[in-house]
Amino acid sequence: MATLLTHKWLFASMLGRFVDAQLGPNAGDVAEPDSAGDVSFSTGVRTALGSNVGLASAVTSLLGPFTTRPERVVVVVGATATSTKLKLPAELNSSAGTIREFSSLTASIMKVNKNIQVKGKPQKWKDVRSKRCRSSVKSSNLNSSPVMVKMVKEHQVSIKKKPSLKRLKNKPKTVSEKKKNSPCGFKKLESQANGCSKFALDDEIEDLPDFMEGSESVHINGMETSEESEEVPGSRLEGEALHHCAQRGNQQNRAVLVMQKNQTLCFRGKCIVTCLYGRVEVMGFTIDEGQKSYPLFSPASHCPLTLRALGHTDYVRDDRTEASNILEDYLSAASRKKLVKKVTPTSSIILLDPLETPLTHFLSSFTHLSELFSPPVSELMSAVLDTPLNGLGVIPLASNIEGLKISRSCRDALGTVINACKGDLDGCAVILVCGVKNVGKSTFIRILINTLLNHTSNVDYLEGDLGQTEFTPPGCLSLSTVKEPLLGPPFTHQVTPDHMIYYGQSSCEPDLDGYLESLKSLWRRRPQSREIPVIINTMGWVKGFGFQLLVDLIRFLPVTHVVQLSHGFSTQCSPLTPDFLRTAQGYQTHPPTQTALDEFSESHCPPKTYTHLNVQSEFQGVARQGTATHQRSNEHRELLLLGYLSQLQSDDSGTVRPLHTLTPYQVPNTAVALGVIHCEVAPSHMFYAINASLVGLCCLAEKVTSKGGPVILSQATLCPCVGFGVLRGIDTARGLYFLLTPVDPSVLRKVNCLLLGAISLPSCILTEQPGFEGEIPYVTADYSFDLTGAGKIRVFKGLIRPSLMGVIYRCASRPARSPDLQR
Amino acid sequence: MKKSSSEKRRHVVAWVNKAEWDQVLDHLYSKDPALQRFALQRVSAWRGRYAHNTPVAVDCTADLVRGQVLDRSGQLSGDDLVLLYGAALVRFVNLITERQQGRKARPLRRLAGKLNIPEWLVDLRHDFTHKKLPTLKWCRKGCKVVLEWLQQEYWSRQLGGGAGEDWESDSDGEEEEDGELRQQESNLLSRQKEMEAYKTTRELLISYERERYQSLDGAQGDRGMAPLADMSWLLGEIKQLSLDSNDLLVDVLLEDGFLVPTAEQLETLGCDPFETSGSPEPRVPQPIQRFWLPLLKMLNSPSFIQLVMEKLFVELKVAATEQTDLRVFYLSAWASEILLCNSNKFVFRFERKTQKKARMKDRIFMNRIQLRWQQLLSACLDAPCGSTPHLLQLILDDMEHPLPQDTQQKLLQLCSIYTQTPAVEFSLPREQKHQPIYTLESLHEKRRQQLRRSGETSESGDLQQMDVQAEKAKVLRGSPWQVCSDKVLWKNFPLGKVPGQSDDPSSLMVETYSTMTVCEQPVEMESSRGQNAPGVPGPARATEGLIWNQSDVNRLKCGLKLF
Repeated sequence: MATLLTHKWLFASMLGRFVDAQLGPNAGDVAEPDSAGDVSFSTGVRTALGSNVGLASAVTSLLGPFTTRPERVVVVVGATATSTKLKLPAELNSSAGTIREFSSLTASIMKVNKNIQVKGKPQKWKDVRSKRCRSSVKSSNLNSSPVMVKMVKEHQVSIKKKPSLKRLKNKPKTVSEKKKNSPCGFKKLESQANGCSKFALDDEIEDLPDFMEGSESVHINGMETSEESEEVPGSRLEGEALHHCAQRGNQQNRAVLVMQKNQTLCFRGKCIVTCLYGRVEVMGFTIDEGQKSYPLFSPASHCPLTLRALGHTDYVRDDRTEASNILEDYLSAASRKKLVKKVTPTSSIILLDPLETPLTHFLSSFTHLSELFSPPVSELMSAVLDTPLNGLGVIPLASNIEGLKISRSCRDALGTVINACKGDLDGCAVILVCGVKNVGKSTFIRILINTLLNHTSNVDYLEGDLGQTEFTPPGCLSLSTVKEPLLGPPFTHQVTPDHMIYYGQSSCEPDLDGYLESLKSLWRRRPQSREIPVIINTMGWVKGFGFQLLVDLIRFLPVTHVVQLSHGFSTQCSPLTPDFLRTAQGYQTHPPTQTALDEFSESHCPPKTYTHLNVQSEFQGVARQGTATHQRSNEHRELLLLGYLSQLQSDDSGTVRPLHTLTPYQVPNTAVALGVIHCEVAPSHMFYAINASLVGLCCLAEKVTSKGGPVILSQATLCPCVGFGVLRGIDTARGLYFLLTPVDPSVLRKVNCLLLGAISLPSCILTEQPGFEGEIPYVTADYSFDLTGAGKIRVFKGLIRPSLMGVIYRCASRPARSPDLQR
Repeated sequence: MKKSSSEKRRHVVAWVNKAEWDQVLDHLYSKDPALQRFALQRVSAWRGRYAHNTPVAVDCTADLVRGQVLDRSGQLSGDDLVLLYGAALVRFVNLITERQQGRKARPLRRLAGKLNIPEWLVDLRHDFTHKKLPTLKWCRKGCKVVLEWLQQEYWSRQLGGGAGEDWESDSDGEEEEDGELRQQESNLLSRQKEMEAYKTTRELLISYERERYQSLDGAQGDRGMAPLADMSWLLGEIKQLSLDSNDLLVDVLLEDGFLVPTAEQLETLGCDPFETSGSPEPRVPQPIQRFWLPLLKMLNSPSFIQLVMEKLFVELKVAATEQTDLRVFYLSAWASEILLCNSNKFVFRFERKTQKKARMKDRIFMNRIQLRWQQLLSACLDAPCGSTPHLLQLILDDMEHPLPQDTQQKLLQLCSIYTQTPAVEFSLPREQKHQPIYTLESLHEKRRQQLRRSGETSESGDLQQMDVQAEKAKVLRGSPWQVCSDKVLWKNFPLGKVPGQSDDPSSLMVETYSTMTVCEQPVEMESSRGQNAPGVPGPARATEGLIWNQSDVNRLKCGLKLF
């Protein structure tokens, strides 16, 4: 070990001298100037206003016991209900406090366990919608009443009656057809099409909301267009309007909302949405009446979700009576009467139910996340309070919060890609999305996936963004099949991917070759006969080597579309057009020499072509690192991990079981190998690094055998990873590891390697372990950050430090998101 | 901004306990290379835990100690050592001063001076990077001095207590300090202003009271014009005040001696202070209500009423915990008075006109106001006291979007259980009335039965959980993995600790281990790295992936131009 480190140091030292010598004598005299003028220092938590946020949620949690989770009454009585506002005094327990209804409450708990799965047919374009009947929102997560069951049944019936609600494959939507059905809708569409759309857009692309934009000129491939702001008369549901068009349910804590066509509801919080009538759209995904319920998550960490009514265009019907019939199940006569008045042929009616899942319970058990589903400080003034929706955990936002903003170029790009996916493309569409960090790649991808899921049941997704992963904990490269729409930020939809490699760092910079090889290997694992679209996410590192990696990826993978996101008028990097790629230098690949080019043009192989789409992001705060609470990217990573670990919570009980109380798995230390990815750890001290850490559960091809004692990998490799676990403890006497993991036991049996990476356990997992008075391992309250050198290395953005090259610490030109280092 | 919380924040660190920290510190600064090496290895494990958050001081110390150890081992030549020391010293000077660095670059010399780092160390650093390499002698001296500095400034002072700050919220140098100072000043100023405003408000209200008393007295005696004029002037002033700072006005109003009368005031107005307090349905005695009516009528506005309501509940919460009965009574009485005013229930339908007129006269406001019910509800529940069920009932009855009926009932019931007031008679559904009444004893009994049934195997007695575990164990059979079957109460062991583990910092050392070397297998590396790849044809390849077949490779090779 010593020698290897020595080498590293010698190299580093010499490199530093070399560079400095080149720069001249004065360069280092002043510590390198930083171009960090634009670094915005976090202003910290503004708690002054914080108390206002919690009120609505407090009531929700208070009403929770009665409406959604009857069994919680027991908890309340047990005087342990710290989360509810109404704490019961301990004396009550001994006095004759009577709870008459206790048993009737528990008896009334019912769950819908009808999990109707859509089986088979993963191929190409199917009319998937009609199959997605309303039946389950991970039914195990929801406690539903008999009413819910009834509702489910009814809708299954209604679906059978109307099997073709959803658009068919490639259904041409002619204007005349529209005109016949809804003249007013036609007008809007026409004016909208006046702009520049040179593609035959699917109607739902046109439907994507842009009416918040105002008039702006947009550059699309050099063509300038301007839009009138009033072309879509959509409006935000806010303030008084919400009182009129929303009503609370008469039996359960739920609400029914009538929305007119193009009306939007932008909100914070979480709920389950069911479309009772008409059609609504969220993040590009449309929900028709009769379709199953979907959970929506709009936490303070991300852009708020916007629900938009589309109205149905299919046929005219007797709206009032039909609506009245639908509402009968949910509302009392009086409120029904009020609502029905608002219903027109183009309105949509949605049902909102409170959403409580093991995930939300788990997250709310941490003090710093208790306000996660409330509006952030910046939106407090815009929060509409005291509507019927607030009681179930939905806080509507006034229209000065614009919500998700989709630029014209973005909609065009979506249109092109969707059309290509539907069209006669040979094989499948392979869409690579790239752009500088915080430009909205993930959001674009979520909308793209959701829109695609309107047409197909599956979309493949190749994860190349190590810092902000979509379906896995950070630091992973993965290949997933997406079946459910993404109606919330990544931490709300952590799923097991088809294939995963634990890279172990939140940026690819330490090992570029490994990064490329991992992605290539993942690609090869994808069944090549599959004819469903693939979406590739990439890192936000678009300079230097990061850009070269992008070039490599486009060359290595059979990309058909490159969507390049940018912002403002400055160019973050050169456009990755096919022409550019002809001469671009990659990290592993090089442009062919001229002779080779000639040869190729003669041969039958055409040069690689793909469609290059430029998207201008225009949302507020584009390319800026979020600084508010919950919005920094290290907080996002923490949420991702908490989302993953929440899978350890058992489904059915509403109570949160802290990790340390769970029964772990055990495995002899001779049967699984230990490795560290991101640094070098002396084998004899290995347990000190790995105890109570997050480990990737990996499968080595080789058999792990021990000649005595634990098996230590001399060098960690990139290998298939099936999931993550917390190494809960090490029994040195018996030679056992104790591990907590949500990985299925049938998969766990194959795991023979535990890898430690630079992705550490969220600190709250360790610091907030209830039930301990004394010392907790690895936790101290005595560490002072005031002393010099007590913090981690601080790197200014844009500060280039040649002397650090070659050492594993990060350089300033770091890729991807790492706010923690840029401060 | 420092957190002024009395409780120190807890942080995650890389050492399991203080003992491990002490051990490493001791070993690092020992003269024995073997111990130093041990400490270095432990720091390597810490780096593994910390990922990229290792404290700079720990990193620098380890780097310098490494130089010392290698120096003493005599394995390296002098030139090697100079480079090693050099890198460590350069890193130390740069990293340790980094936090002092503001947005504008400042000379290292100045930054180091602030930290009490001798100037010649900075010169040494510059020698390393820009000039002739210093001699080994200087390197050793530099290393020694820096290690001493680190021990003094970091190691010996750490874990001895100190204000907790976060990893993330490190201060940003001078700018912040300046800002803090400025903020303190402005805070002081605004506080002074506040105090003045508070005083004037109080005075105004007191003179209002005086006027009222006088006019009440005057009602019996002679009635002059002057007091009335005074009154309207006063009201105007107060109105103005309310426009400026509604908040303050309400705060003062709710202090003792205003809306909540003192015993003397009650006597003056002819009320018995102990007459009504303690009733579950408090009403403000009429004389007092009349006393304040002119003021309240004048101030009446939706936002004002909302504010008063919210503050009432806030004060009620404080009063209820402090057990000040009179205050609790009057606060809840006013709350209920306002709610009743706002009520849209026509309970008075059958009254005669004159009665109605009289009633209307006593009302603070006439028209129904749209209050923020959700907030009021939670505020009300937040301040439990004897009259909470009554207030709750009023709020529930009056809400714009009423809660489901049974939710209302349950809330009320739970509320009355909590406040231990004689339960308001609820119209329970018949079947619920006939259900047995559960007491705590019956719950205990039930639990005991359950435990007996499950054979007292586990404390939780969670049968379902056991089933799940058994199922998991079955799936794992035949693999080295198994569900831990030890009878361990895991909840007594925090993460990172197992039964029987000692607190000795050496308990996790691995004495014997086997190393395993894996070739980079699973990510099937292609042998051809760094090849020249001309544009890969797109769609044609789509079906077969990216692996070039033999003919492709051959073609590529033709296109290669070696240099």
